[in-house]
Amino acid sequence: MQSITDRDLGTPRPKTTRTVTVEIDHRTVEVPEGSTVMHAAAANGIAVPKLCATDSLEPFGSCRLCLVEIEGRRGYPASCTTPVEAGMKVRTQSERLADLRRGVMELYISDHPLDCLTCPANGHCELQDMAGAVGLRDVRYGYEGVHHLDAETDASNPYFAFDPSKCIVCSRCVRACEETQGTFALTVDGRGFASTIAAGMNEPFMDSECVSCGACVQACPTSTLMEKSVYAHGQPDRTVTTTCAYCGVGCSFKAEVKGTQVVRMVPNKDGQANHGHSCVKGRFAYGYASHPDRITQPLVRASIDDPWKEVSWDDAIAHAASEFKRIRDRYGRNALGGITSSRCTNEEAYLVQKLVRAGFGNNNVDTCARVCHSPTGYGLKTTLGTSAGTQAFDSVEEADVVMIIGANPTDGHPVFASQMKRRLRAGARLIIVDPRVIDLVRTPHVQADHHLQLRPGTNVAVINGLAHVIVTEGLTDDAFANERCDPDEYAEWKAFVSHEKYSPRNVERMTGVRAETLRRAARLYAKGPNSAIYYGLGVTEHSQGSTMVIGMANLAMATGNIGREGVGVSPLRGQNNVQGSCDMGSFPHELSGYRHLSDGETRRLFQQDWGVEIDPEPGLRIPNMFDAALDGSFKGMYIQGEDFVQSDPNTQHIEAAMRAMECVIVQDLFLNETAKFAHVFFPGATFLEKDGTFTNAERRIQRVRKIMPPAAGMADWEVTQAFSNAMGYPMRYAHPSEIMDEIARLTPTFRGVSFETIDRLGSVQWPCNDAMPEGTPTMHVGGFVRGKGKFVVTEYVETDERSSRRFPLLLTTGRVLAQYNVGAQTRRTPNREWHDEDILEIHPHDAEQRGIADGGLVSLASRVGDTVLKARVTERIQPGVVYTTFHHPLCGTNVVTTENSDWATNCPEYKVTAVEVAPVTRLSEWQEQYRDFTRKQEDLLRERASVRT
Amino acid sequence: MPDPDTDATRSALALKLADATLETLRDPRGALLPILHAIQEEMGCIPESVIPAVAERLNLTRAEVYGVVTFYADFRTEPLGRSVVHVCLAESCQALGSAAVADAAKAHLGVDFEGTTADGAFTLRKVYCLGNCALSPSVMIGGDVHGRVSPGAVGELIEAGRAGP
Amino acid sequence: MEVRRLVKMANDIGAFFERGGDAGGVANHIRMFWDPRMRREILVHLDETGGDGLTPIVREALQQHGHELDPGS
Ligand code: SF4
Ligand code: SF4
Ligand code: SF4
Ligand code: FES
Ligand code: FES
Repeated sequence: MQSITDRDLGTPRPKTTRTVTVEIDHRTVEVPEGSTVMHAAAANGIAVPKLCATDSLEPFGSCRLCLVEIEGRRGYPASCTTPVEAGMKVRTQSERLADLRRGVMELYISDHPLDCLTCPANGHCELQDMAGAVGLRDVRYGYEGVHHLDAETDASNPYFAFDPSKCIVCSRCVRACEETQGTFALTVDGRGFASTIAAGMNEPFMDSECVSCGACVQACPTSTLMEKSVYAHGQPDRTVTTTCAYCGVGCSFKAEVKGTQVVRMVPNKDGQANHGHSCVKGRFAYGYASHPDRITQPLVRASIDDPWKEVSWDDAIAHAASEFKRIRDRYGRNALGGITSSRCTNEEAYLVQKLVRAGFGNNNVDTCARVCHSPTGYGLKTTLGTSAGTQAFDSVEEADVVMIIGANPTDGHPVFASQMKRRLRAGARLIIVDPRVIDLVRTPHVQADHHLQLRPGTNVAVINGLAHVIVTEGLTDDAFANERCDPDEYAEWKAFVSHEKYSPRNVERMTGVRAETLRRAARLYAKGPNSAIYYGLGVTEHSQGSTMVIGMANLAMATGNIGREGVGVSPLRGQNNVQGSCDMGSFPHELSGYRHLSDGETRRLFQQDWGVEIDPEPGLRIPNMFDAALDGSFKGMYIQGEDFVQSDPNTQHIEAAMRAMECVIVQDLFLNETAKFAHVFFPGATFLEKDGTFTNAERRIQRVRKIMPPAAGMADWEVTQAFSNAMGYPMRYAHPSEIMDEIARLTPTFRGVSFETIDRLGSVQWPCNDAMPEGTPTMHVGGFVRGKGKFVVTEYVETDERSSRRFPLLLTTGRVLAQYNVGAQTRRTPNREWHDEDILEIHPHDAEQRGIADGGLVSLASRVGDTVLKARVTERIQPGVVYTTFHHPLCGTNVVTTENSDWATNCPEYKVTAVEVAPVTRLSEWQEQYRDFTRKQEDLLRERASVRT
Repeated sequence: MPDPDTDATRSALALKLADATLETLRDPRGALLPILHAIQEEMGCIPESVIPAVAERLNLTRAEVYGVVTFYADFRTEPLGRSVVHVCLAESCQALGSAAVADAAKAHLGVDFEGTTADGAFTLRKVYCLGNCALSPSVMIGGDVHGRVSPGAVGELIEAGRAGP
Repeated sequence: MEVRRLVKMANDIGAFFERGGDAGGVANHIRMFWDPRMRREILVHLDETGGDGLTPIVREALQQHGHELDPGS
C-alpha cells in the first residue's frame, strides 16, 4: 500500500523538459515528451483505472484495465504502455471502455475474497477503488471452481505478512523487488490462472533472498503484502514528513500516524535522497522508540556503585550544573567538556558546542565523527577546500565507472546501494577495493570488473599504485589538473607517484593486489569518461586515514574526475547526521562551517553574537579527553547521544578513564554502556519526538518533524538549553528554527538555510547562500572551493599494527544490514531475527590450522585484550585476515582493538588489529566481568528510588 | 526428505551441464533456457535442489530461476513416471469426449494432470493433438498411441503400459 | 598525560611530513590541532629527556618552533 497521501501517476515521470500537446477527453494539455498516455492523463487530473501500473515502476501492461481509445488507432491500447505523440486524441471514458473494464474487474474479483470490511487495506485498497471506479456491482463467475481463496498466509517476516488469497498477480511486488530494491527475491510461480507470487523457490519470506526492504509491500495495491503494524493498529489518519534517524543516506519518510501512534513509515516518493525507497531499518525498525527499556525520568547518583535516584528535571539539571561548577572551581575550566551526537539534530549539536565554548569557556567539544569520518574532513578540506563529499547521490546515475573503496553499501547504505546497483545493471563498470569479498563483488545481476583484495592497512600503497599506472601510462587529464590545481604541486605529485617504489610489482608485494589487476583497474578508472569514487570507513579508520582521503582526491583531480555529475569523491557517511554534527562546529579546533579557531575574524563574529570571549586554542579530542581524565586534568563530561564505551577502541582504557571522572552526564534513550559509568542521566528524545534538521552524506539538509510529545517531557535541545541556563550562560530559544536562524547568521555556507527554505524546497544541499540560493548538488564546478586544488604527496607508511608470531592474523571490522552501529536501537527491534550476535569470519585455511569449526566458540586476542565469540568459516575473507562487527556489547569487539589512530585526526585504526584466534569453550575474563558489571548496573537501575519533589 | 548427498551430486551434475552449455554460447545472457533444457534432458527433470547452484553460476537469484522453471510447461521439477500417459485435449478429441477419458484416467491413477503415481510408474499429462484425429479420442501411453479410447477402457490400457522398475 | 601516547601521535604526524622534510608542517599541525596541555607536555618531555622516542623530524619541529607551540607564550 502506498502512502495514504500519495498521488499515483501510473508510470514514472520522463526525464525531459520538452513537452508535446495532446488532447485527452476533449481537453488540450501539454505534457512531457515520452510520457505514457496514463501519466499524461493523471498529471492533468484524469485518472484512468489501473492495477498493474504504479509510478515507481516501469509500465508492464498486464492487467488490461487501463484501456483507452485513441483516434485513428484500432482497438483499445493500454494507456500505461502507450507513449503520447503530438496531436494525439485520447478518450479515457466510453461505454465500450466501461464494459471492457468491468469485464476485467469481474475476473479479478471472482477470485478475491469479499471481506473488505475486515481487510487491513480497507479504504486504501486499489482493487476496491477500481471496482468502484469501473462500477462493478455483481460478479457473474461465482466462487466455486478453482481459486486461491484458502491459500495460507506467510507471516515469517517480523514486519509484514503475505496473504496470497488477496493477490491479483499484478506482479508489482516482483518488479519492485527488481527495479526499486535490486534484490530479485520474488517471482511469479507458474503461469496463467494458476500463477501465484513466490519468494525464493516458494519459500517463507524469511528463508528467501528477501532483505526486508519493504518495497514490495509499498507497491502492492491490495492487502496481500501488508505491514503487520497496520493489522495491529488499523489505518492511519494523517502523515508527517520526516527523515530517517539511522544512516547517512537520509531517507525521507511519511510517517503515517493515528493520533500519536505511528502506524507505519512509508518512504517519501518526493524524498530527494531516496526517491521513495528505504531499507529494513528506516521503514520497520522504529519500535525502539516505544521500547520498555527507555528511560523517561532523569536519574542521578553520587557514585557509579550507588543505585540511581529518579528525580525531577529541575533537580537533575540543578544537580548537574552544581557538579560542573564545583569541578570548574576546583580544577579550572579546562577540566570540563562535551560531546555532540551524530544521531541528534543539527540544532542540538550546535547547542552543545555552544554550551561548551560559551558556557564552559573552553573548546573541549568533540563528536562521534572523531571515530569515523574525521579524516574525510581533514583530507578533503586540505585538497579541495571543503570537508564534505562532492556529489549528490543522483550523480551516480551519470557515472560510467564506479570505484568503491572500503565501503559496503548493500549493508551500510542500502538505499544508495539500490540506486548504484540500478546504474550498474544499466552498464556502469565497477571496481572494488576491499580486503573482504563484499556483496557487490558478485551479487545477482552485478559483478565487479576488478576486485582489489588488499591486505588491511595498505590502502595508501594501492592508491599510489593506481596513480603510478595512470601517470606513467599518460592517462592523466593534464589540461584539467594544470588549470584547476597548482601546477608545481601537480608536477611534484606526478614525480612522486611515478617512482619505482609504487610500480604495480612493488605494490603487489606491499598489498597483495596482483599487479595486472591494479593496472587494469587504473586504466578503467582513468578511461571513465565519468569515474566516481565512493568510500567508507575502510578508508578513514586507519593510521593513514587522512592520507588515503588525500590520495583519492589527488587521483580524481589528476584524471579530471571532479566538478560535474557522474564523478567525484564521495564519503558514504555512517550516521544520519554525522555530516551535520561536523558542520555545526563540533570539533575542538573549529567553529561551524569548518572555520579554524585561530581565525580572529570568525571568532569575533561569534563573540559578538554570543556575548562571550572564545578561547582561541583548540580543545581536547575524544581520545585526548580519556588520556586527560586518566592523568587527572579532565573531570566532567556532558555526553549527548553517544556510546563510546562500546563504540570506541580499547574498551579497558576507556572504562578506566570513565571511572576517573567526577561527573559524567549521559543524555540518551537507554541506559547504554557509557551510561553505566554515569552520575547523571538525562533521558533523550527520539527523532519522532522533536523538530529539527539532519544533514545527510550528500550535504542535504532535511526536516525532522515532531509526531508525538517527548516521552520524558523534554526534547534534547531543551535539556541542553536548561543546562546552559543553570550553568549561568543564558539561552532562550523558543523553537529549533530559531537555532537554525542563528547558525545561518554565523555560517557563510548556511546563510540561505532556514526551516522555511527547507519546507519550500523539500530539502537543500549546502552551500546555500546568496550565490546558490537553492543549494549546491555538485561541488567544485568550474573551480575548487579553496581556489587551486592542492596535490599533496602521500607516502605509504606501514602501520605499527603488524601481524607477528604471537598475533599472526589481522582483524578488520564492519557492519551488517539489519543492525545499526552499537545496536542500541536495532537490538531493541525484531531486526534481531537477522543478526543476534557478532560473529568472527575466518578463512577455511586459517580455521583448519587452528582446529576451528564453523559455529564454534573462539577467543579473539590482541595485545590489548581478548574476547570470545562464534566463528563462521568462509571464503569471503582472505587467508590471514579475520572480520567481525561491533553491534553487540557482550561480544566486545572493541576490547581487542588498539589505540592506534589516524596521524592527522586521531580517528582510531579499527580496521587493522593484529590478533590470534583459538578455539575455546567459555567466555573471556573480560566478558565475565562485563556480565557481572552489567548485571550490577541493571540492578542499580531497577532499585532506583523515586525522590521526585 | 531431501537427501543432502544426492542433492550435492545432482547440483554438481547440473553445474557441469551448465558449464558445458555456457561454453557453446557466445553470450552468457540468455543462457538460462538452454541450460535448463540440457539439465532436463540429462536428468529427466530439473530437481528443485539444483536451482540454487544454477542461479549462483549465472549470477541470478534462485527466485528468478524458479520462476522460469515453473513458467514453462516443458520443465518439470519431479522426474516423470516410468511411463507417461498423454491424454489428448485438442479440438477433435475434445469433441469426441476426451474430457471423460481424462477423468477416467485421473480416477484410475489417483493423480491429476502433471501428477506422478506414488510408485513412480505413471505420470499423467495432457497433450494437444497427437496427429491421430481420425481416431479420436486419442491417448498415448509410453509412446504408443491408442485411438477411439473410451472412458471404460482407459484403465486397462494404462495397466498394459506399466513398465517395470 | 601519558607521554608515550603523545610521542606516538607526534611521530605519526612526523611520518606524513617526513618526505618533504617539512618540520614546519609538523609544528603547524600540532599547533592547529593539539590542546595546549598536550603541547606543553611534549615540550616538557623534549626539555627533560632531549626528546626520548621522538623521530628526528619531530624533534626538529619542536626545537625550531617550540615558541609557537608553547601556549604560555
Ligand atoms: S502480492 Fe500484491 S503486488 Fe504482488 S502480485 Fe499480489 S497483489 Fe500484486
Ligand atoms: S521486502 Fe524488499 S527484498 Fe524483500 S521481497 Fe520485498 S522488495 Fe524484495
Ligand atoms: S537506515 Fe539509511 S538507507 Fe535505511 S531507511 Fe534509514 S536512511 Fe534510508
Ligand atoms: S495498468 Fe495498464 S495494463 Fe495494467
Ligand atoms: S485432436 Fe486429439 S489427436 Fe488430434
